[in-house]
Amino acid sequence: MILSFETWQITIFSLSVGLASTLLILPFGIATAWLFARKEWPLKSVLETIVLLPLVMPPVSTGLILLKIFGRRNPVGQWLYERGVEIVFNWKGVLIAMAVMSFPLLVRSVRTSFSEVNPRFEQIAATLGASSLRIFFVITIPLAYKGIIAGALLAFSRALGEFGATILLAGNIPGKTQTLSLAIYSFVQLGKDSDAYSLLGITVALAFLFVWCSEWLLRSAKKA
Amino acid sequence: MLLRCRIPLAHFELDIDVSFDSRLASIFGPSGSGKTTLLDAIAGLRDITAGEIEIDGSTLFSSARGINRPPRERGIGYVPQEGALFPHLSVRKNILFGAGRSADISRSKSISVGHVLSVLEIGSLLDRPVTKLSGGEAQRVALARAILSQPRLLLLDEPLASLDIGLKEKILPYLARVRDEFKIPMIYVTHNLTEVLTLADWVLMIRQGRLVTQGVPKEALRSMRAIMQLPEDEFENVFTVTFVESDPEAGRTKVRLQAGQELFIPYLPRPGNDTIQIRISADDILVAIKRPEGISAGNVLPGTVRRIDVVDGQAMVTVAAGDEFYARLTVSAVKRLDLVEETPVFLIMKTRSLRSL
Repeated sequence: MILSFETWQITIFSLSVGLASTLLILPFGIATAWLFARKEWPLKSVLETIVLLPLVMPPVSTGLILLKIFGRRNPVGQWLYERGVEIVFNWKGVLIAMAVMSFPLLVRSVRTSFSEVNPRFEQIAATLGASSLRIFFVITIPLAYKGIIAGALLAFSRALGEFGATILLAGNIPGKTQTLSLAIYSFVQLGKDSDAYSLLGITVALAFLFVWCSEWLLRSAKKA
Repeated sequence: MLLRCRIPLAHFELDIDVSFDSRLASIFGPSGSGKTTLLDAIAGLRDITAGEIEIDGSTLFSSARGINRPPRERGIGYVPQEGALFPHLSVRKNILFGAGRSADISRSKSISVGHVLSVLEIGSLLDRPVTKLSGGEAQRVALARAILSQPRLLLLDEPLASLDIGLKEKILPYLARVRDEFKIPMIYVTHNLTEVLTLADWVLMIRQGRLVTQGVPKEALRSMRAIMQLPEDEFENVFTVTFVESDPEAGRTKVRLQAGQELFIPYLPRPGNDTIQIRISADDILVAIKRPEGISAGNVLPGTVRRIDVVDGQAMVTVAAGDEFYARLTVSAVKRLDLVEETPVFLIMKTRSLRSL
């Protein structure tokens, strides 16, 4: 299968922004997951539900909320615009949409892997004089790393498949904000079926690879 | 050491108020009596409703004064029942995990890595992943890790519980060496009486979260309330004896009790250390009122009955024969022999029922 320059460009753009979005949410996702797995506070379940919302809400609705937040006529968007940062209708919008939509998947997966780390190890590390930071990086993270990678892979796949939130926040501008999913939609609309099928092939292959890797990691983490 | 704490548990409240000064105190009691909870509370891993914990004159917890030092500042080495070695680190990294802790919070002179490795004989295991250790090795590594954090107090939670009997007898001497070599006060949780008698110089007996009795092990165990809770097979006599001579041909070894009496035990090559510990079950000692003749048993010791405690048709007869021996008889046997306090008796022990540790 020979890919046109255009399909190449779309694939690379999607992969790059997807990767950037995954890297962006990784530290926040890990921190949130740890808090959910290890700490208790009043109304914790409310926050948990809010974090999970994008998973179940129609992506278009999430996109609309994001558009409201980052639009130039709203405080956050205005504040960013005055500092020369524009989110809406450019690649940063794609990044934000991907990040918000894949965050809950990351948190869920990482949280599970933190819960599977026996807290006894962390307690004993504390009696041995380790600080909370050292316990987190030397005990908790290494014992949960497979689940963290699996979660990141899932989040990455989700980012690549993002459609609804992206189209609202970033639009579907060829060469500027057009991702794999958006491009497939456009190609089908325009009757460019062979391009659409090329991209379809790519998305299926990538999705297969990521889900397979992530499942394999989770299985081997359970065994260990 | 002062331990005063109240902790609510699922079915009862742990309520302990003791103060003692010992090298190795044993907390003894049946499973589910709150022993592990108490250790967790001392280490700071569990919330205490009210109370006070003081070690070496420094207060780790006091509800009245609002003190609750976090686990990492307590300077307490904890070897939990399951060992809890960090599975992703090598033996070396496990052992050195707490070694960076400054010695000043606990002791002026710090314990060296080499010393710990040689006492516990784990030098050859350093580069192994901890997942490739046997149960006994893992326990020694967990012990080394705790000791090298230079603690002011060492907590051991049933370190032998998960090991089979053969392995237990191999680990016990290591625990005795740790006690003698490093001079760290230890609190040792167990539900095994032999371990109490072998290692401890003080015993706290707890049941359902309450202190039943405490004291020097032999004396505390004599107390009736204590004996009543002992499981059937666990009442053993334990003695520290000196090696006299060994005869492989005859298959026996002569040892001397502290009071001077000599006993035969099964053959044993001369140990490196002349002091060994031997034990015999209270059910394996026969009591006679005349010196027996023509019997196979190798040990016949004259003595005097000191007291007889009857519980549930079983009589625990305490006999002074140099050291004190406990023999468990039926009430009917006591009546037949007309045993009372001060009756002169002979204790009969088969050589093979005496075991060395």
